[in-house]
Amino acid sequence: MRRKASLVLLAFAVFFAALSPLLRFYAFPRLAKIPPSQYQEAVLEAKPATLIDYGTMQPKEVDKLSIVQTLKGNVEEAERIGKRTGRDVVVWDTLAYAEGPDGKMVSKIPERYIFDAHTQEPVHDKTEMADGHEVKREGIEFKWPLLTEKRDYDYFDLRVRKSAPIHYKGTRNFRGLEVYYFEQTIPWTQVDYPSVMPVKGITAKSLAGTGTKLWYTTVRKFWVEPVTGAPVYGEEIHEEEMRGGTLLGDRDKVTAFAGHVKMREDYIRSTVDLVKSQRQLVLLMTSYLPWGFLGLGITLLALALFLEARSRRPDGQDPARQPAPDPVEA
Amino acid sequence: MRALIAAAVGLAAALALVLTVTAIGAPAGETSPKPLLTTVPPESP
Repeated sequence: MRRKASLVLLAFAVFFAALSPLLRFYAFPRLAKIPPSQYQEAVLEAKPATLIDYGTMQPKEVDKLSIVQTLKGNVEEAERIGKRTGRDVVVWDTLAYAEGPDGKMVSKIPERYIFDAHTQEPVHDKTEMADGHEVKREGIEFKWPLLTEKRDYDYFDLRVRKSAPIHYKGTRNFRGLEVYYFEQTIPWTQVDYPSVMPVKGITAKSLAGTGTKLWYTTVRKFWVEPVTGAPVYGEEIHEEEMRGGTLLGDRDKVTAFAGHVKMREDYIRSTVDLVKSQRQLVLLMTSYLPWGFLGLGITLLALALFLEARSRRPDGQDPARQPAPDPVEA
Repeated sequence: MRALIAAAVGLAAALALVLTVTAIGAPAGETSPKPLLTTVPPESP
């Protein structure tokens, strides 16, 4: 009976010991992925901000500029591109919508970002775009890969429509979470006018026809929770200038936009809460379960060996259970 | 010999479980009916 029990324990010991590396190194990379149906929104604010008045072509300071960033996973397109490429794909249709203090639209820039659901490597398709222009992204955008590393990444810039390094600048604590801080500086670069302009009658084409060019620079900052790769907070010091041409009269340049954009408090709170819960799920598969199963496997193996050793005593019996010797007569 | 068989059973069960779970995978879900926002949501307390 004891022999049978030790064999069952041995089977369970091997089961759990084998499950430990299988879960971490086989199941986790295949199961952990960005869901293709994700929908997320975030609001960022610049208080105050400088905006150009297209009526007078003069910059003016406003109390607040809000940017609503929406990400929407397109499941049908993910399946289509997934079938074509043979990969597990996520398609995010996004919109960065900026609104002035009067509630009027300041800019409206759509994007389609396509990436591998597991590794977050970019996947290319003819529908991949930024502000209506076909692009071929390198690197990441919006989110870092699961188990983010302490290194520089390539990050796609929507306005320049190219990727540039975003540098790892150290580990910080953000509202009780250990986060990696990343920073990217895009130097002054000439960019296209946005496809949709805020004033009727003014188009990107009509502005370009005046010879006045749009220049842009930004310093982008992200605080990224490394287990999930999710940014829990973001800031951007963003500046745009119109330079040269006939539109500015005798001026060399005019500020088109300037502001220090920060994530709104309610979205910081909800993002931190979401990331804290998702972090536990990832840790369950990468740490808690693998180590727990390994410990359980070792314990069961020790128990199986102990029972086996006891069952192999010469008489095959437990000494405690042996009958007492007969009394010896004097 | 019996110990080897027991270990093989444990190993096979672990492999079968992991392969089954990874083959099933996670459901894809559906595209959200919510629109891409063009208004700023009010600040929640």
